[in-house]
Amino acid sequence: MNDPRAPQPAVRLRPPHNRVERRAILWWTLQSLAFSGPLLIGAIVGYVVWEDARPWLLAAVIGAAILALVGVVVEPGWRYAVHRWEATDEAVYALTGWLVREWRVAPVSRIQTVDAVRGPVEQALGLSTLRVTTASSKGAIDIGGLDKDVAAAVAERLTTAAQLTTGDAT
Amino acid sequence: MSTEPPGHEDGAGAVAAGDAPWQRLHSRMIWVDAVQTLLSLVPAGVALWVVGFEQGIGSLWPVVAIAVFGVLGAVSDSLRWIFTRYRVTDEYVELRSGVFVRRYRSIRRDRIRSVDAEAKLRHRLSGLRVLKIGAGQQSAAGESALSLDAVVKQDAERLRRALLRGPDRPVADDLDEADGAAGDAAAQEREHEHVFARLRPEWVIFNMFNVWAYVMALGLLWGAYWVTTMFGLDVGGFVEGLLDWEALGWGWTIAIGALVVGIVGVVGLALNFFTEYWNFELARVPGEKGTLLRTRRGLFKTREVNRDENRMRGIQISEPLLWRWMGMADTNVVTTGLSVWSMAQPTTILPRGPIGVARPVAAAVLDVPASPLDVPLRRHPRAALRRRLWWATLCSAIVTAVLGWLAVTDVVAPAALWAGVALWPVALGCAAVAYRALGHAIAGDYLVVRSGLVSRATTALQRPAVSTIVLRQSLLQQRLGLKTVSAMTAAGYGGYDAPDVAADEAIGFAADAAPGLLEPFLVRPDDPLEHGPETPVR
Repeated sequence: MNDPRAPQPAVRLRPPHNRVERRAILWWTLQSLAFSGPLLIGAIVGYVVWEDARPWLLAAVIGAAILALVGVVVEPGWRYAVHRWEATDEAVYALTGWLVREWRVAPVSRIQTVDAVRGPVEQALGLSTLRVTTASSKGAIDIGGLDKDVAAAVAERLTTAAQLTTGDAT
Repeated sequence: MSTEPPGHEDGAGAVAAGDAPWQRLHSRMIWVDAVQTLLSLVPAGVALWVVGFEQGIGSLWPVVAIAVFGVLGAVSDSLRWIFTRYRVTDEYVELRSGVFVRRYRSIRRDRIRSVDAEAKLRHRLSGLRVLKIGAGQQSAAGESALSLDAVVKQDAERLRRALLRGPDRPVADDLDEADGAAGDAAAQEREHEHVFARLRPEWVIFNMFNVWAYVMALGLLWGAYWVTTMFGLDVGGFVEGLLDWEALGWGWTIAIGALVVGIVGVVGLALNFFTEYWNFELARVPGEKGTLLRTRRGLFKTREVNRDENRMRGIQISEPLLWRWMGMADTNVVTTGLSVWSMAQPTTILPRGPIGVARPVAAAVLDVPASPLDVPLRRHPRAALRRRLWWATLCSAIVTAVLGWLAVTDVVAPAALWAGVALWPVALGCAAVAYRALGHAIAGDYLVVRSGLVSRATTALQRPAVSTIVLRQSLLQQRLGLKTVSAMTAAGYGGYDAPDVAADEAIGFAADAAPGLLEPFLVRPDDPLEHGPETPVR
């Protein structure tokens, strides 16, 4: 039942086989800019306009600058090094994140929907996000930075595979 | 049918299947409404008789409001009775209602998932029941169920049995048979019941002490003040005369006030517990497909909930931190289709009570040899404690730094700094408590996880119900050699975590939590092909 597995040699989880597209680095950079850019500009404008609050706003400017720098210089490259994905006939497996890494595995038999989602920036770069949901509200798997044709093909393959299994997949 | 509602043209037995006649709700409703009209006029009458007319309408508006609401409610209820018809055919339960806007609703009988009988005080006194017929998930959460308000108790029981038996048999048969052998069928059903728990009066201890005591007391006291003032009593003067408040001073006055309010609240909560959980019973009963887990409770307002056991995925017992010394526990089922957030708490199968009762009942409900909630859990490594201590220290440091900065800029007094400093040992204590709560195990078909600071929740979840496995590792966790394993499922909260499992143990636990799912992605050290060239991504 509750076998002590300490004496056994530890099993490892291998990373998924496929990397995401190199263009994803640019996509993540633009995302970071879209988030921290307005923040930084807002803080600087406030610092210039509102003299009384300068000691406070200086902290905000420095904070926003660090956020923008890390988001543009560090995060995209780090993410590219980490992100991997794999979709077999049995399961969808993704590794994402940078400061916090996350391995997500969902069996194809439990898949409820498969979508290839494309935001405006992704469309411009020819990228696509594969979104796989299961009956669990917390069980969705998002794989960003895929080539749009690859994502569409995988989505189609998974949809076909998921239709083969019966039951309501809860 | 023995209790034939008036307006019903034909005997149910003579009806050909398919065009069953439309029936009215029970006529006793009209009498109940008439009595309600009279009763709601009583306070106004008494007040007028006692106080007389000279005070004018100003101080009497509450009793006038009671009278108006009571009469209007009764009249609209009678109108509803006049315009409502229902019928049960072989395939559908149909309901027509509405005075100005006519509504037609129907539920296919093979879609019916639950038939629950409820009763408010007026229904109970008059032997009527509100029958709620639910199909699918939304209705199970208490919304949009088709409700027959009200039918006579025996009819409700008969309809419930007929509807839950499934659509294979014509309803006329069921009703006929129930007509002759209602007693037999009920006795037979009782024989197949398995009762897990009934109300024990000592459980009231667990439900008396609560922050809500104060809210309840203030409500009660305000109501009492309002009623006595209406009848011209000087409550303020009476309270002033009780003690020499000036001699006692502010401190004692507040202390005595808080004590009195607290006592009133505690007594109020105790009474409330008994009215809510009177005749409480948790039982397994046979249902249309498989068994149902049924709870019944209530003194004035009765409530019955039937949960389909095919949809049950596990059980959760949570123990709140402040009351853990007295072994207080809440017991909930982990099931699909019932909302965890619903006010009616349909997933709660036991009132708040002692852990010594919760565990055996949970074990009996799960009905597996060696209850997964009783197995010894694996402790998590000391590194998990260190992670919590680091976070506790960091949070206290940030609070202290902010307070220090505010003190330097003269926003708060320098003494506030001590609050930040005092926070540190408290936070460290919380970290230790949170660490001690951690545990995980695999027990038969179940995976068991335990965590939580304010409320330590132990969850046993069926392994086949896990739909996604998630492993998570932050930079700090990586340094400490830890991983968080989450099992996502369609039931309950949607996901259950085992935080900070030792990194090398986490993979094994995750692989066991969802049998076979991780198998294609595992690398075993003794496997010569896989070992070697491939290294994990850092």
